[in-house]
Amino acid sequence: MGILSITALSKKFNDSYAVKNMDYQFTPHQCIALIGPNGAGKTTTLRMIAGLLKPTSGNIIFEQNKNIDRRTLIGYLPQHPVFYPWMTGSEFLTYSGQLGGLSKSTSRKRCEELLDIVGIIDVKDKRISSYSGGMKQRLGIAQAMVHKPKLLMLDEPVSSLDPIGRREVLTLMEVLKKEMTILFSTHILSDADEISDELILLRNGEIIESGKIKELRQKYQTTKITLQFAERQTFYEEKIATLANVRNTLVEKDSIQVIANDITKARNEILQRAVQEDWPLLTFRLEQASLEEMFMKAVNHS
Amino acid sequence: MTTVLFKKELLENWRNKKWIWVPLVFILLAIMDPITNYYLPEILDAVGGIDGAVIELPDFSPADAIMMSVSQYSTLGVLVTVLLSMGAISSERKSGVLDLVLVKPVSYTKFVVTKWLSLLSLIWSSFIIGMLASWYYTVLLYGEIPFTMLLAVIFYYGLWLTFICTISIFYNTLTHSPGLVAFLTIGTTLVISLLTSLFGTRTAWSPANLSTHLQELLITGDVPSALIYSAIVSILLIILILFASIYSFKQVLHNRNE
Amino acid sequence: MLEVIESINWSLVAPFIVIQFILMIIGLVDWAKTKQTNGPRWMWLFIIIFLNIIGPILYFIFGRRE
Repeated sequence: MGILSITALSKKFNDSYAVKNMDYQFTPHQCIALIGPNGAGKTTTLRMIAGLLKPTSGNIIFEQNKNIDRRTLIGYLPQHPVFYPWMTGSEFLTYSGQLGGLSKSTSRKRCEELLDIVGIIDVKDKRISSYSGGMKQRLGIAQAMVHKPKLLMLDEPVSSLDPIGRREVLTLMEVLKKEMTILFSTHILSDADEISDELILLRNGEIIESGKIKELRQKYQTTKITLQFAERQTFYEEKIATLANVRNTLVEKDSIQVIANDITKARNEILQRAVQEDWPLLTFRLEQASLEEMFMKAVNHS
Repeated sequence: MTTVLFKKELLENWRNKKWIWVPLVFILLAIMDPITNYYLPEILDAVGGIDGAVIELPDFSPADAIMMSVSQYSTLGVLVTVLLSMGAISSERKSGVLDLVLVKPVSYTKFVVTKWLSLLSLIWSSFIIGMLASWYYTVLLYGEIPFTMLLAVIFYYGLWLTFICTISIFYNTLTHSPGLVAFLTIGTTLVISLLTSLFGTRTAWSPANLSTHLQELLITGDVPSALIYSAIVSILLIILILFASIYSFKQVLHNRNE
Repeated sequence: MLEVIESINWSLVAPFIVIQFILMIIGLVDWAKTKQTNGPRWMWLFIIIFLNIIGPILYFIFGRRE
């Protein structure tokens, strides 16, 4: 059962499309990464789902809650969150919770809880104008989840953080995933690789590839075996090239790259021959495609 | 929801000291001219007059004194009102904090109306306090004037200030530049005043004529029908512009190219 | 000049002066608390002190940064 579905979503700015004909079904308790270069339409997509921008055409529908204001179900963290600098962190979070529909006392309790979780409880009574960038980012995450939304949307949540802050936010997202669906945008592929279950690849406002990360890996799997020999590298290379399931071989400085038609068959064939003929094998490695290669491949395909 | 939004506005205007300095400024504007005009003969005497020329100073009536305060509000009072309201919504949009408010289930209508009410509560409070001070000095220095007259001045002139606040809120929904809001609000006010004086009696119903009709009321003691017309037109325009603000707020935000 | 000063009823004029003074004090307190203003911070100090009435108002409207 899906939680949110977007159909034929488009946004036109002046004469060009920022987002074009986008379809997607969001499943609960998944972490979905929206990946694409700058200007691919990530922020526009998030802002439309958040209700800050009106789509030129298309629909955004929460499956089970069609009749209520969908903003009740959404938490959103902009890329550069800005607050009321004259408020304290705890005041802003309480206010935010009240806007989200909580009573003042519930919002206060929730605020204490959240400030602790995101780790800024010790500065909660200081004015936000004195907060560092990292503190603001944490307060931003806290305000996004203060009203316990079903869908948490984070726009580039880690790209402005230092390595430690980045790690903490990623860990937090891992925990939050159990309670809600997370949709986050990033242009850093390794972040997406690390915590997301699903990927949406965007280019020029269009989805060029999407789906479960495992399935995508299979689809774009590079069938590649890396071999290293103690001696006579070219000699063995020629031998391998004649094997039935090997499509291509490539000699690099000190290793041989084998591109196979069928990775399992090629692997068995090579290993059999190696045992039979006692090859001086140093390394035998099956390589999985990185997300980066996958992304490049998807981009080239379309 | 409106209470939550309104309390935030109150707290903000308390923290940025508007609730202190605006009433004080409105008191100063109200009592400045009644006091200086009262002491003008002595001051002129002291500097020796102008080459022995006999200067005939008009005798000011209590009504004149009250109108001195109103005339200060028409210039500096309006200016202060415009300048302190220029960022009411536009600065929140400019900084980006508006996004964090509007991603929560907040009604756009309630948001605009709360901003309007918050501005009006500050201006009306300051204006009433200022007029009470003006009344006090008028009675003390120039003579009795009925309290009902004061209430009439507060009500009718308050409409003009409300009108200006509403125009400012309207421009606040259109642009994210506070400077532009101030420019457009002052520009619009000037154009309305200019057109009103240009067409003379044919535009007697114009909101810009509220103070002119008030003067008549203070002198004659009777409510001129033109004052009633101006008041009704003002109220209608205020409601119309407020609706336009709500509409434009939704449109402009949903279709911005940012 | 002396006669004028004597002829003025100070209890009437005092509120006027007191309010100006309060405005200046509030402006100064706020100025002292903020680290950043629009434009040079010291300039605002002079504006608040030396421009009667208008100085503090100018500071509150244009000087404060939020």
